[in-house]
Amino acid sequence: MNHRTMVFLFTFLIFSGAAFPDLKIEITEGSQDPIRIAIVPIGWNLDDPSRGYLHQMVSSDLASFGEFETLTPQEMLSLPRNEEEVFFRDWKLLDVDYLVVGTASQGEVPEEVSVSFSVIDVTREKTLRRSISSGSINYLNSLAHVMSDRIYEEINGIPGIYSTKIIYINKEGSSNGKYHLRLADIDGQNDLALFSSYEPLMSPDWSSDGKKLAYVSFEEGSSKIYIQELYTGNRKGLKSEGGINSSPNWSPDDRYLSAVLSKAGNPDIYIYDIKENSWKQLTDHFGIDTEPDWSPNGKKIIFTSNRSGSPQIYEMTVSNGKIRRKTFEGSYNARARYTPDGKSFVFVHRMDNLFHIAVQNLRTGKLRILTDTSLDESPTISPNGNVIIYATKNQGENILAGISYNGKTKFILPTDLGEVREPSWSPILKQSRSTRLF
Amino acid sequence: MSALESLFVLIAALCAVGGCANVLYDEAVDVSAISATSEAKYFDSAGEVSGTIYFDYDKYDLISSSITQIRQLANDFKTNSSMKIRVEGHCDERGTREYNLALGEKRAKAVAEVLILNGVPSNKITTVSYGEEKPVAYGSTEASWAKNRRAELRLL
Repeated sequence: MNHRTMVFLFTFLIFSGAAFPDLKIEITEGSQDPIRIAIVPIGWNLDDPSRGYLHQMVSSDLASFGEFETLTPQEMLSLPRNEEEVFFRDWKLLDVDYLVVGTASQGEVPEEVSVSFSVIDVTREKTLRRSISSGSINYLNSLAHVMSDRIYEEINGIPGIYSTKIIYINKEGSSNGKYHLRLADIDGQNDLALFSSYEPLMSPDWSSDGKKLAYVSFEEGSSKIYIQELYTGNRKGLKSEGGINSSPNWSPDDRYLSAVLSKAGNPDIYIYDIKENSWKQLTDHFGIDTEPDWSPNGKKIIFTSNRSGSPQIYEMTVSNGKIRRKTFEGSYNARARYTPDGKSFVFVHRMDNLFHIAVQNLRTGKLRILTDTSLDESPTISPNGNVIIYATKNQGENILAGISYNGKTKFILPTDLGEVREPSWSPILKQSRSTRLF
Repeated sequence: MSALESLFVLIAALCAVGGCANVLYDEAVDVSAISATSEAKYFDSAGEVSGTIYFDYDKYDLISSSITQIRQLANDFKTNSSMKIRVEGHCDERGTREYNLALGEKRAKAVAEVLILNGVPSNKITTVSYGEEKPVAYGSTEASWAKNRRAELRLL
């Protein structure tokens, strides 16, 4: 293959990967006070035409959820490639808060790129962190995500979520349209169907180790729970009982699933021991108990119950079975999900006949409505607790939308796949190995 | 230059600038493409709908005309007792999907109870809930929602 063909193929590869993501974040309302960051085009010491795109990918990542405002190279007064070349006045003039400069070189093997870069606090004229990110030249977007995660963590002190993914349910638009369980990178790339069926799919849940999924499928004519391995596609249906088998939710150590079975006459919360292949009943009430979620420390399960007459949120201590009601405002509160710090939960709250996503603090009981969209459902929260994605209806279309935890940034994820719903955010995936040098 | 040597050159370059404190090294691990997909076989849904019962919002109780309707269906069934009845419960789109799955089951069971009271053997009846997953009407209007809050009876 001659050089020109390689250049063409490589350019095609770069663009085809980035061309038409199915779910692409579109910010509808931005933060009033984003951090201004300049990612200077990375100096490129390799011999191929992909130079210049890394800074764009990193900028695009950082701007995704409205937390950052990025500069284009055209706006920059100078283009330093290392700390020595930084002239701080050029950046203070532009009101830049942080600066990233670096160079890329060949890594350990021919296919590997290593980027050494510095994250610099412009106001204090101080380097926050020197870092090296490396990855395959065939997956530059992964390398960009690793860099973005590092930059985010150095500035904010919590992990970045640029290497995370979501799974969600898609129903094709036609009347006998198929249902798909789909997976996508959080930036919308690499979207694919993991499982497809002519019958409904529901309630996908991501395991804590990021390697397995649990979901509900009606492929045998009624609701049954399945576990599917992400990388092999191997799936296994759980020993099914009569009635409802649904709402699977992984424990933090992935040894158990909490779920809902109605085999005893009405929907109750059960725990499934994966190794023992056995069920244990947790709630025993003639009403509807459903939508369990394990707390991050594994000690409690939050769930929905109508035992007081209408759906409300309850929390159970797993060890002793003690149950406490948590919501007291409004007549419909359901589908709670703990925040990663375990201190609050996001949930669906009906007010004035509109369904919104709200958050409530477990200790104070203070409730805050987050969304002004309605017919909202299925909130899922990022593993760093900063962003929530949920399903809603917008101009008759079932779409995914998102909001920052502080409520300041709103976005939608438009798609042309048909109906999309029930998103589940991955944990922080081990997409990178980090070591401290010196 | 070997790989290790390249790395040291990079590090030396970084250190030369402003000291060596705490350089972090992040390596993107091999992103094996996830391409595993599979597909379920087509489920042969049973029979045609022989009757549909409707419900009020958030409710699974039966109004008297519904009870009459079910009684009629029970009588029709008795003349055809080699068959089975499948009762499928459904909801409108409002509220959460899993809660609606449970509500749909309550609707299906309410109908099944009346069938049993009217002489249909319980072992001939299957109840299933689809929650809000199989609407017959789209759109977010009262009219669409009313059409979706239903239990469908199918003879197998």
